[in-house]
Amino acid sequence: MHFFNVIRWIAWKDLLSELRNRENISSMFFFALIVILIFSFSFSLDPKTSKELMPGIIWIAFGFTGIIGLGKSFLAEVHNDCMEYFQIVPAPKGAIYLGKFAGNALFMLIVEVILFPLFILFFNLDVLEKIPMILLIFTAATIGLSALGTLFSALTVQIRAREVMFPILLLPLAVPIFIGAVESTRGVFSGDPLPLYSDWIKLLIVFDLIFMVVSFWVFEFLLDY
Amino acid sequence: MVASRFISKLQRYEGWFGIASGLLIMVGLYLGLVTSSPDYYQGEVVRIMYIHVPAAQSAMLAYTVLFGGSLWYLWKRDPVVDNMCHAAAGIGIFFTSIALVTGSIWAKPTWNTWWTWDPRLISFAIMLLILVGYVMLRTFLEDKEKEATYAAILAIVGFIDLPIIHFSVEWWRTLHQPLSISTRGVSIASDMLIPLLLMSIGFYLLFTYMLMVRTQMLYLQHLLEAKRGRMLSKVHL
Repeated sequence: MHFFNVIRWIAWKDLLSELRNRENISSMFFFALIVILIFSFSFSLDPKTSKELMPGIIWIAFGFTGIIGLGKSFLAEVHNDCMEYFQIVPAPKGAIYLGKFAGNALFMLIVEVILFPLFILFFNLDVLEKIPMILLIFTAATIGLSALGTLFSALTVQIRAREVMFPILLLPLAVPIFIGAVESTRGVFSGDPLPLYSDWIKLLIVFDLIFMVVSFWVFEFLLDY
Repeated sequence: MVASRFISKLQRYEGWFGIASGLLIMVGLYLGLVTSSPDYYQGEVVRIMYIHVPAAQSAMLAYTVLFGGSLWYLWKRDPVVDNMCHAAAGIGIFFTSIALVTGSIWAKPTWNTWWTWDPRLISFAIMLLILVGYVMLRTFLEDKEKEATYAAILAIVGFIDLPIIHFSVEWWRTLHQPLSISTRGVSIASDMLIPLLLMSIGFYLLFTYMLMVRTQMLYLQHLLEAKRGRMLSKVHL
């Protein structure tokens, strides 16, 4: 099978099954809503503090909802005994990784786009002219999170304490993504000029590239067993 | 068998490393705690450095061994190397914790706080989390070969991530507030340097000694499990 066809079909089937059963997407949506509510209770947000805390709250909500989705990424494959098929299918193993990764990243982006209006509503944000920049930041951070998340989801999917181990492994390694995403989001919404926060976006992009390459390479070893 | 020859080599030489590290650490501790002069600014508190710095260095050595061993394992699939990686991770947790705890005790009188969001502190704390995650992942996987492969993958990804974490945190801190205290650029007096060097070498040797003992232990444990499995299968047949 052609390399890019493998990627396309795996990503497509993942997206389709996620969008058809709507189980994950609705649970992620309500989970994010609850995160926002809990934050507003625990910090008793007034307009000024909410401006300061907003980037952090956005990325905690996105990160945690992402963990719900990413952690289950390989679960369906295990339940349907598809891991064995991944091992024997005559396709490059790296392409399988990139397919799962692309599916996860697209799904997370869809969830983020659905969730973002909630933040506009609750935090009273002005977004209109900032949309391209916001999309760039969201895409860069989501790619980084799903690059690591897809790998760790495959690592943890067959163990007993899957739900605990996945965030324990993922979150410490995702620290640069959270810092970069929060700082660049803060930069966009506080109306700073681009050069002030463009370094953070560069950090996100470098992180994405490094971990896509590394995960692509190690995934071959992972599927061997 | 290559593995058993390697293990018997470890068995033969481990004593030398143990004795050498014990001697060096004792002399280093005596020089550092008794004869060296207190620091001009920090006073007696500075003596915790003789434990803190070598422990931090050994922790980094442990992670480096873990990374190299993991690459080696993925390449050659040598089970002894996997035992060595497992051992290095456990010892790494030990040294990282010592470095964090002694650093925290030193920071209280010097910076007047137990914990500050300094890049090196955060990198070390995250290194501890990665190592603990590594050991936890290993305990949850049942199949030996799968355990070794998955653990090696985690160690490699974590090792590549550590410098990125360090620089991103450093960047983040310097953009928010300049570091109030910098320990860099202070030249060190020779009566402090010698005990520090002795302690560093002593801790490196201690790490090597612990690694040798622990690798043997894990190797024998695996051997025992394999033999037990074979015997059980014979009984059932």
